[in-house]
Amino acid sequence: MKRRVVITGVGVIAPTGVRTQTFWESCCADRAAVSSIPAHWCCYFEPNSTVWAPLPAWEHETAFVGRIERMHFDRVTLLALNATVQALDDARIGRRVRDERKNTYLVDGIDPTRCGVFVGTGIGGITGFSAAQGNHVLAAISVAAPELAAKAGPLMRMPSRFNPFIVSMVMPNCSAAAIAIKIGATSTNRTSCQACAAGAVALGDAFHAIRAGALDTAIAGGAEYLTDEYGGIFRGFDVAKTLVRECDPPHRANRPFDRNRSGFLFSEGGAAVLVLEEAGQARRREVWPIAEITGFGESFEAHSLMAVEPSGERMAASIGAALDDAGVDASQVDYVNAHGTGTEVNDEVEAAVIERLYGREAAVNTTKSLIGHSVGAAGAIEAAVTALSLRDQQVHGCRNLDDPIRPLNFVRAARALPIETATSHSFAFGGHNAVLVMRRFRE
Amino acid sequence: MNDHNLLEPSIVEQRVVGVVREVLKVAADEVTSQTRFVEDLGADSLDRITLMLALEDEFGTSVPDDEDSNLTTVGAVVELIIAQANKRG
Repeated sequence: MKRRVVITGVGVIAPTGVRTQTFWESCCADRAAVSSIPAHWCCYFEPNSTVWAPLPAWEHETAFVGRIERMHFDRVTLLALNATVQALDDARIGRRVRDERKNTYLVDGIDPTRCGVFVGTGIGGITGFSAAQGNHVLAAISVAAPELAAKAGPLMRMPSRFNPFIVSMVMPNCSAAAIAIKIGATSTNRTSCQACAAGAVALGDAFHAIRAGALDTAIAGGAEYLTDEYGGIFRGFDVAKTLVRECDPPHRANRPFDRNRSGFLFSEGGAAVLVLEEAGQARRREVWPIAEITGFGESFEAHSLMAVEPSGERMAASIGAALDDAGVDASQVDYVNAHGTGTEVNDEVEAAVIERLYGREAAVNTTKSLIGHSVGAAGAIEAAVTALSLRDQQVHGCRNLDDPIRPLNFVRAARALPIETATSHSFAFGGHNAVLVMRRFRE
Repeated sequence: MNDHNLLEPSIVEQRVVGVVREVLKVAADEVTSQTRFVEDLGADSLDRITLMLALEDEFGTSVPDDEDSNLTTVGAVVELIIAQANKRG
């Protein structure tokens, strides 16, 4: 008999909430985050898209990250640590100080030698690298050509020094390493890097490791921070014509699965971390699971780095693989948390695949309609939403979905929904497809 | 805190000691102006880099890379901070 894998803790930090509870309440009220991009970015380029989903300010201290560690970590890692602490608290895993100088902890009730850490990210600590590079180039220009620097004025934005910790800040595995160091988790430590599917792959790998008996606990999810001082990361997506172009009024710009969609809403970033445990361990700890993960499937399109394969064959293959892994039929799926970016081709292909595989009865929504696209964090945030939807038997709506591209059972506004089985889709640049299957937890 | 306070050694030393305690997690009575970061407090190379960053953050100043190796004690850091404040006038 296969070991069962349950979710016992969820931690989310996202544009609509810096705590899991506030984020989930925002989802259930169909609240979205959207505003104009920072004005100074337009000194560097003329954007086609002019809106984004910024993160609210958040308190680092609540995530056991002090001033000193903030100097060591890129913001992507600070987000990952924030979500981790929330998830551990949610799972009622206590902690004691291990090393005061290093600000590290021991966790209670789980075996750290059987605890893995799995984190997905699209581009790791690129913001830290961008800042260091800004100092590296612009400080030299300021010395060599002070008149030019004075003339360039506000374009010369840079940190006061070249950060000496930049190597560890920028490496994509920094977040997974930092989490494991923080809690002393000494087993598998893995970083997934499959763009928009990275968070889902991290969770899928963690699920399989626990089910196979290699681990008893996993801290798994995704984190991304996409905002550099100069707007260069935003420009990369903008120039590729992936971002929303109809931006007036801003709150109507982001409209996945609508006939008038024009691209995805760029997110400043976010993170979601889930505590996964073997069900027997959770029972012994007397923690009631939020949901159960029952399947994970992947496929690769071998088609294009930036465009989805138009027949949807490989997309459907990943869903089929996940359902097979879970031992359920597509007709048993009550709710699909779609990838649903809002780009023209992705939504067209995904909607067709959903209709073909699940039919028109399964409820469908996309969390990106509320918080935009946070790349490597997206799959993990959407998995968190799927788990919370199963727990509360409640789904959020698709914002701005006035004229759906297909007659699917789209959730137009938040409502109660009986859900036994749900899927969460993630389809990435590069061609990586990843799908998780979850069910309502029952003994 | 304004630059005038950065000319007063006792105030500067108090703040430097505060940063050293924050970074190296040591008790107040372990840190005097003669305290050596490596030999007395066990700071490793990463601790020293962190200490310099934290001092820059605390005093809104910049520790030149070529000065870094000379800054081995609390007293040496205090002297640098005061010297920089004097330069700014």
